[in-house]
Amino acid sequence: MMVSQSELVKEARENGMDLLPLDKDTYELFFGPQHMATENFSIILKMDGHRVVKAIANPGFLHRGFEKLAELRPWHTNIALLLRICVPEPDVPEAIYSMAVDEIIGWELPERAQWIRTTVLEMARVSAYLFWIMGLSFKLGVYTAGQWAAAYRERLMALFEQLTGARVYHIYTIPGGVRRDIPNDAWLRRLRDTVEYIKGKLPDFDHLVFENYITFRRMEGIGVMDKKFALAEGVTGPNIRATGVPYDVRRADPYLLYPELDFEIPVLEDGDALARALVRRYELEQDLYILEQLLEMGPPDGPYKVQDPKLKNLPRFKVPAGDAFAHVESTKGDFGAYVVSDGRNKPYRVQIRGPSIAHGIRVLEQLLVGARIADVPVILMSLDNCPPDIDR
Amino acid sequence: MREQAIIDGILTEAPYAEGKVRRERRVEFKVPADRIRDFLKLLREKGFELMLQITVVDWPKDGEYELVYQMWSIEHRTHAMVRTRIPRELDKARMPTVRDIYPVAETYERDAHDFFGVYFEGNEKMEMPWILDDTEQGLFPYRKDFDMLAYVKKKYMILDRFDENKDNYVI
Repeated sequence: MMVSQSELVKEARENGMDLLPLDKDTYELFFGPQHMATENFSIILKMDGHRVVKAIANPGFLHRGFEKLAELRPWHTNIALLLRICVPEPDVPEAIYSMAVDEIIGWELPERAQWIRTTVLEMARVSAYLFWIMGLSFKLGVYTAGQWAAAYRERLMALFEQLTGARVYHIYTIPGGVRRDIPNDAWLRRLRDTVEYIKGKLPDFDHLVFENYITFRRMEGIGVMDKKFALAEGVTGPNIRATGVPYDVRRADPYLLYPELDFEIPVLEDGDALARALVRRYELEQDLYILEQLLEMGPPDGPYKVQDPKLKNLPRFKVPAGDAFAHVESTKGDFGAYVVSDGRNKPYRVQIRGPSIAHGIRVLEQLLVGARIADVPVILMSLDNCPPDIDR
Repeated sequence: MREQAIIDGILTEAPYAEGKVRRERRVEFKVPADRIRDFLKLLREKGFELMLQITVVDWPKDGEYELVYQMWSIEHRTHAMVRTRIPRELDKARMPTVRDIYPVAETYERDAHDFFGVYFEGNEKMEMPWILDDTEQGLFPYRKDFDMLAYVKKKYMILDRFDENKDNYVI
């Protein structure tokens, strides 16, 4: 049976849905959460033809109340919970939570634990950047490069599986060190081979994506923000480095082995989608370089976690009263955790600061104004918006 | 000491605040709730450009909310916690907004309002829906006295699978 449009309009109005022409030219469009580009995130767009007039970010589809749940679970159990806040690089929430707990207790990590944590964080960065290249090239229509990136990421997933026993959610970094030691020297050799392999494949990505005429036409001059705006809006990570601010937590607030490592912070001045993409491309190269240095250094001898009798009985593991803020540089930006303890075997309050809460709401709403509808996924991808760390 | 110099420079212009060094690159301030706008304006002038988060910690024993403004200075490479305390009764938990000083604070204030019920006066988006659904507005689930199990049982009746003695969970 055919249903006429006016009947559909009537039915939608009766059910309180106003996704309909507002007047002759403007209309409302729900972009996401089913749309592939938004990843469980929704933007309500008011469109004039194919231009965006107004955008309203609509988060909340991934809210699972992790911060409340963390108050009800023992300290070590929370690792398996909080890492789900950042899907592409779950080692980052593990690391910040563990660093904050280490700081409250006052533990000095053994050198081997520091080396393993640094290596895992850098491997997570490389795999997250490959994941991002996959997303970007799908949105630009360069599908081949995306499938390559997914395949190369798979090599890192296999390494993670050998190291931690899990592919995506590793549950590996714990307060006091890491959960288990490096399996054997063969694992180190395989990691070295993988780094060499991905490094050899970077020119292919350049030819296909980053030096591509289509990429330049699609991304140049889109979603421009300047330095002052980015600072006021709390933007961090590659997005602020694309506007000319050399802020990197690994340099500004060094943690683990980063003071001993040599790396550059790529900074571009333009502040558009292309600059943000290129900053990420340069950082991928730097991360591979850092991994090479770490492998050159080799894991120091010694224990892989703190030798403390407290770690023998984890359900009764207690942390003295106090609070601490720890943050690391993730591929999305400054990822921080604020942990409060009142001396019991559970945290009193855990708050995770996801970088996307700064650049995924207000900045996105302002950058989308005036953009064409085909550019909306490109701007989203160039900001590298990660909805789970907004919703938590 | 570098951190002590930063604190001294700020406290000479803000005698109402207290400050201390926590460790290298970490400082902490305590400010009365009614002077928070003046203090954050001063911090911005002194080079703390980035606001990372506004954390609310609920202390029912003291009857207070603790608000912690997490700030970062790119120039000084220092993290500053600005702590302030307000009463936790829902009609008295009110703060002046700082969105004209740090525009990003608008988002953090919406977050604090959704989960804790702190009302930020002057923030136009305070009443707009944020993460929680319409049916969950006004519950303020992150407060310590929110009974999560009772709420889940009430909302999702199908999950109430305890036996008659309320001891064992029946699958």
